[in-house]
Amino acid sequence: MSEFEKEEKIKAQLEAKFGAAITELTIQRKNRIWFEIPADRIPELMKFMKTEMGHTHLATITGFDGGENLGANYHLTDTHGIITVRAKTPRANPHLPTVTGVFPGAVPYERELEDLFGIKIDGLAPGRRYPLPDDFPADQHPLRKDWKIADAYPDEATAKQEAA
Amino acid sequence: MSKMTIPLGPQHPALKEPVNFTLVLEGEQITGSTVNLGYNHRGVEKAAESRTFLQDIYLIERVCGICSHSHTTCYITCVEELAKALVPERALAIRTLVAELERVHSHLLWLGIAGYEMGFETLFMYSWRDREQVLDCLEMVSGNRVHYGINTIGGVRRDITAEQKKIILSKISYLEERTKYYVKLGTEEPTVLARTQKVGMLPHDVALERGAVGPTARASAVKRDVRKDEPYLIYDKLDFNLITHDTNDVFGRLVVRVLELVESYKIIRQVLNYLPEGPIAVKVPAKIGPGEAVSRYEAPRGEDFHYVKANGTDKPERVKVRAPTMANYPSVSYMLDGGYLADVPMVIAAIDPCMSCTDRAMVYDNKAGKVQIYGWDDLRKYGIEHYKKRGIDFSKM
Repeated sequence: MSEFEKEEKIKAQLEAKFGAAITELTIQRKNRIWFEIPADRIPELMKFMKTEMGHTHLATITGFDGGENLGANYHLTDTHGIITVRAKTPRANPHLPTVTGVFPGAVPYERELEDLFGIKIDGLAPGRRYPLPDDFPADQHPLRKDWKIADAYPDEATAKQEAA
Repeated sequence: MSKMTIPLGPQHPALKEPVNFTLVLEGEQITGSTVNLGYNHRGVEKAAESRTFLQDIYLIERVCGICSHSHTTCYITCVEELAKALVPERALAIRTLVAELERVHSHLLWLGIAGYEMGFETLFMYSWRDREQVLDCLEMVSGNRVHYGINTIGGVRRDITAEQKKIILSKISYLEERTKYYVKLGTEEPTVLARTQKVGMLPHDVALERGAVGPTARASAVKRDVRKDEPYLIYDKLDFNLITHDTNDVFGRLVVRVLELVESYKIIRQVLNYLPEGPIAVKVPAKIGPGEAVSRYEAPRGEDFHYVKANGTDKPERVKVRAPTMANYPSVSYMLDGGYLADVPMVIAAIDPCMSCTDRAMVYDNKAGKVQIYGWDDLRKYGIEHYKKRGIDFSKM
């Protein structure tokens, strides 16, 4: 397909290096590629894409709650297009490796994963929590689908019921 | 000399937004710093999951007081991609127009803040007075000074009339003249040079390494602008320059922003003259997806990033927002290190962290028990009369 020449080239380059580790690769449209890779290969992949493929900018990391699995989408860009890499981790014991060794600017994005999804980031330097307040219960993770506001703020939920 | 650690913020006069900096000082020089964020977390991403795609526009508009159009356009681009909506060209042009008016508003606001932080308050007064011109344009086009609410899924909510076009063009000519003065001021005025040159240095490779975006990155000679790199709306049809500067300091960030104003005026003129005929919106079904989409947008402060996942219902499964200031914070601690305490407000302000503003005076008449809302014209008339009674006539100004 000549329409997606650049995208096909990226696909070939990634598959040559990582082979069967890369699954569900889709070229959504021009400048948009999505694929999945096992969580433990993430730092290696980031390093390769940054140094060998010119994807020098990690735009952000989006956490997600997919039921049985939690996970993260890493959005990388070479300024012209966005490649989104998905990594999953089991809900029972969620943890992902840090990418701060490759992208130092990723610290706040990884703290978000820890705070809002409860995904443990292996290798992330210790520091103050972000973005939740210091007195927020440490075992609650608001962006998980089963979290309800009453879990952390029971008073607020009863006040709403009374008003209704 | 012994080291001293001092907290700056979260509430402090240098910045009107809650952020805390822990600064390690040796005398007056900074040897280490950490940025602590999160004082303003409102749970917008969680709230977005319990609202419909349409309601989310108004929620996401309130992520930021200044880049409100940036956030909704970025979000809506994802939603429209998922819904496979074909947005009319006229709607895209109107979105571009509002986007550039917003950039002018934001950069003039920043110029004022920069003047204020460097102790040059005349510059602050001048640029905020001129900013009123562009806010008037936005109010005329959308009905609001900030939070324009012009976007809707499938297009825009208001059209541009020929008369509005004329008014915008005349205001832009005025601003263009004023900006020439700011370019001269920014590059020649000794106060500006003394407070900005060699302050808050961010070398090119550090800017790349830490993922800096927008004017902060471009002042370190990083050629990165989403409008050029991955044109959205109608930017591929427009002729404008990507502004960079290579001094890596606060001065560079000032020059980049002021020169970007000139480019924005060029864009606004081109959009108004281009403005194709046709409808301004198409109907889009309420239920969208399933699917995922990402989009980027060059907000006044840099690359704005949105991710939307739809699951086939009328509500999104997940919305992720990464505002440009977030990407620039890792660079701030580098800029502060080795600098002086007195430069801290200037350096922080130079990445242009967001804040919100609003206007309108409400007067309560105690005797009559009535409330009267004063608009700009009323306030001006009131001010002129107030001074006339005291023997000064401002009516000819």
